Amino acid sequence: MLSQPISILAIGYHQPIMEVVHRLINSHGNWQGDLALSLDAARTKLAKGVYDAVLLCVGVSSEDEAILTQIMKTSLPEARMIRHFGGGSGLLESEIRKTMEQQPFK
Amino acid sequence: MVQYVHHKADTRGLDHNGRLDSKKTFSFADYYNPKRMGFGALRVLNDDVLAGGKGFGSHPHDNMEIISIPLSGSLRHEDSLGNNAVVQAGQVQVISAGSGLFHSEYNHSASLPASFLQIWIYPAALNTKPRYTRTNLPLAEQQNKLYTFIRPGGSGHSIAVRPDTWMSMGIFDKGAQVRYPLQEEGNGLYAFVIAGEFAIEGKVLQTRDGLGILNSKAIAAQSLSDAASLLLIEVPMDLSTIL
Repeated sequence: MLSQPISILAIGYHQPIMEVVHRLINSHGNWQGDLALSLDAARTKLAKGVYDAVLLCVGVSSEDEAILTQIMKTSLPEARMIRHFGGGSGLLESEIRKTMEQQPFK
Repeated sequence: MVQYVHHKADTRGLDHNGRLDSKKTFSFADYYNPKRMGFGALRVLNDDVLAGGKGFGSHPHDNMEIISIPLSGSLRHEDSLGNNAVVQAGQVQVISAGSGLFHSEYNHSASLPASFLQIWIYPAALNTKPRYTRTNLPLAEQQNKLYTFIRPGGSGHSIAVRPDTWMSMGIFDKGAQVRYPLQEEGNGLYAFVIAGEFAIEGKVLQTRDGLGILNSKAIAAQSLSDAASLLLIEVPMDLSTIL
């Protein structure tokens, strides 16, 4: 059991949807969310921030995912990348929990 | 070798409040079971009952094929694409959420409950243009046959969600038999009993039981009760292109 909340950077390009995702993350007792609404913003935040997980949301293409994967290998090698589907609360809990359980922290 | 996964109705996740009575075959919202994360591209199968006048206010979706099948009563749908519709039992609606939309779903009746199945299928591609479609399910006119309402290309009264996904429903008399040949190699089939009782591949399924079938070319089902209703969902099992 982690004592600190899981720090999550949610990356997505549809601002109204991402505001909902951000609110959902921060309303969860065990999660703490930050938001990047563009690939450039994500690059900046990944270079400076410390996150346990990066959540890929609406608008993030497979090409962007490959770029972000490379950045994470350098700047956040222990963080997990999670692709979020559905855009709301339906799958968020199980996507994050499943990923965090599968690959324990070092 | 053919493999089966049997999800009995009483093993589903429960969510009950004054607004919604929901039984979830797979992990969804607060129900989390790492062994119940879907069946191939089929990710969500919720068996929902909305109280009169209640519903889901405006909320977003993206990158998911969301299929709603009212079983009794009707749903009032509104979305940010400009669609405004009442979907009743005997119809089906599909939201291809793609690059994102907001929608609301309410029980159209102020007093009577509305029950419906909510099914989510992973999309074949990310961030496509969102769309809303609905069609009729003329099941009563085709007793003892399967009616395919989701198919690639969406010809006739059917709707397309993925190039490798089919959904069929039928209402059967006691003793009626049906055979379903899988359409695509590598696909799995998820059978869900909406009403009554069926024997599928020799296994007895009660109302609201589900049976996932892998590595099979065809399945044989027999109705064990009158007015028995069956939903078959054929989906790809390999999602490596998007997940």
